[in-house]
Amino acid sequence: MSRSSNIPAATLSFRLILWLLAFVTITPFLLLLLTSIKSKADVLKGAFALPAYPHFENYLDAWNAGHFNIYFWNSIIVVIPVVAASVFLGLLTGFAFAFLSFPLRRTLFGILTIGMMVPAEAFIIPLYYEMRYLGLINTYAAVIVPQIAMSIPFSTIFLASAMQQLPEEILEAAVLDGAGRFYILRKIVVPLMVPAMSTLALFLFIWTWNEFLIPFILVNDDAYRTLPLGMLFFQGRYTVNTPVLTAGAVIVIAPLILTYLVFQRRFIAGLTAGATK
Amino acid sequence: MKRSPLDGSERTSWIYLLPGLLIYTAFVFGPIVAALGLSLTSWDGLTVPKWVGLGNYVDLFSDDRFYIALRNNAELMIFYCVLPLVLGITLAACVWNLKQREQLALRTFLFLPYIMPTAVLGIIWAWLYNPAFGPFNQFLRGVGLGMLALPWLGDFDFVLPAVGIVATWYFFGFCMVIFLTGIQRIDPSLFDAAKVDGASARKTFFWITLPLLMPEIRVVLLLTVIASIKSFDLIFTMTRGGPANATLVPNIYMYQLGFELNRFGAAAAIAIVGALLTFAINFAIHRLVGSQNKGQA
Repeated sequence: MSRSSNIPAATLSFRLILWLLAFVTITPFLLLLLTSIKSKADVLKGAFALPAYPHFENYLDAWNAGHFNIYFWNSIIVVIPVVAASVFLGLLTGFAFAFLSFPLRRTLFGILTIGMMVPAEAFIIPLYYEMRYLGLINTYAAVIVPQIAMSIPFSTIFLASAMQQLPEEILEAAVLDGAGRFYILRKIVVPLMVPAMSTLALFLFIWTWNEFLIPFILVNDDAYRTLPLGMLFFQGRYTVNTPVLTAGAVIVIAPLILTYLVFQRRFIAGLTAGATK
Repeated sequence: MKRSPLDGSERTSWIYLLPGLLIYTAFVFGPIVAALGLSLTSWDGLTVPKWVGLGNYVDLFSDDRFYIALRNNAELMIFYCVLPLVLGITLAACVWNLKQREQLALRTFLFLPYIMPTAVLGIIWAWLYNPAFGPFNQFLRGVGLGMLALPWLGDFDFVLPAVGIVATWYFFGFCMVIFLTGIQRIDPSLFDAAKVDGASARKTFFWITLPLLMPEIRVVLLLTVIASIKSFDLIFTMTRGGPANATLVPNIYMYQLGFELNRFGAAAAIAIVGALLTFAINFAIHRLVGSQNKGQA
């Protein structure tokens, strides 16, 4: 993998530029972290000045007064069923598209890909009225169910193409042994799909955690808001209290950064597998 | 399609297909079709929708604000698509030569913005750009460029690039990562041959790396173009389309017409135009960039 190990001196300055760029790129996050532990008086001394001592009480303020305790749990309550159901349904539909024949196969596939290209903004108005008609506005279901539906195209295509790469001999052998399709899916395909499924789950986690429009339109009760939404309404109330505002932002992004650092290789492998298909 | 060993009775095949398809149809595809129908009506959300045919579309195309929104979106594409693509490909060509560990570290940092919620990024950048106590202007004043310390998000001329730069910052690391794996896919013997022939780094880039990265260029273009057309979160949280329509884009306009003015038919028409635009650009990219690489599906 690693090719040229003896890098010529000329590239040294150029590596310096690369690292400078990387530093500039993460500066907003560093400033965020720095400001989140300042007092209001510290902020007036300048954005780059260090506080005399860290004010962790900003986090407490954001967590309690800013309702981040509610938003944080809501995000978790929403993310878990969305990821679990999307992976499960993606397995079933992906299995069908990978191995089974049925009428209107191409049409149905086309209908699925439309959903991947059309942004939620395009159908949010009918979705809002559908949810209202179903009496689901201001419930967890309003945020959960549409997000499951929205992730079905990607889950299906991602898992179907992973399944198609399985060696056919394994499946043939299982069929010869007289195993039924559901048994094969459960006992043979699913265990082999664990890496693909966990990559998918990782993507769905990030997307669902970050979703803005669906909770913004379908929920207007503070009790059901997720973190990005909480952040927006928080911004309205705390524009003057920058330290608490930035502490709130850190609460939203900390789980993302942690997940990213832990799973980063899987993340990038999945991204490129999905992208080049 | 070649029949797989698992294929069998069609009737039981539906068991696998139906759960996902039903949920998808009920909450995504159905609403898309409904939006299409809604765009042909005039509806305030309360009374019975009134059929107006293509009236909403005719109105849109004689609406100055809609043209402003389209033009803003076209300008934003420079920041959403062109800059991240150019930066990403240049960086990938540079970073690729570095040792594995250093490459990984750079990749980790540059990719970081991409996993963040754009709505929250908008709020963070609104603070960074704050004219009075925002770090950005403080930095400019600190290095003696105080005359450049503008009220970025309140300035008619600079607000669009100011928002656009955030999109560039968001996407360029992501583009770099895709291009990096693209370069790794290229047969190393091609680079060795170029080196033996004495080709300069510049020539190697333009004659080997760039043409062979066409599939990745296509993917990056597709994703960033779609992102630019659906741009809502970032702009909504930073400027809400202002000042004076300077950052108005179709989706913000759709939100204003629909959820603020209760003109749902007109709003749906914008959404449909946006979706059609996405399809058209998608198709064009497939034809233009895809044609050079027929083997890649």
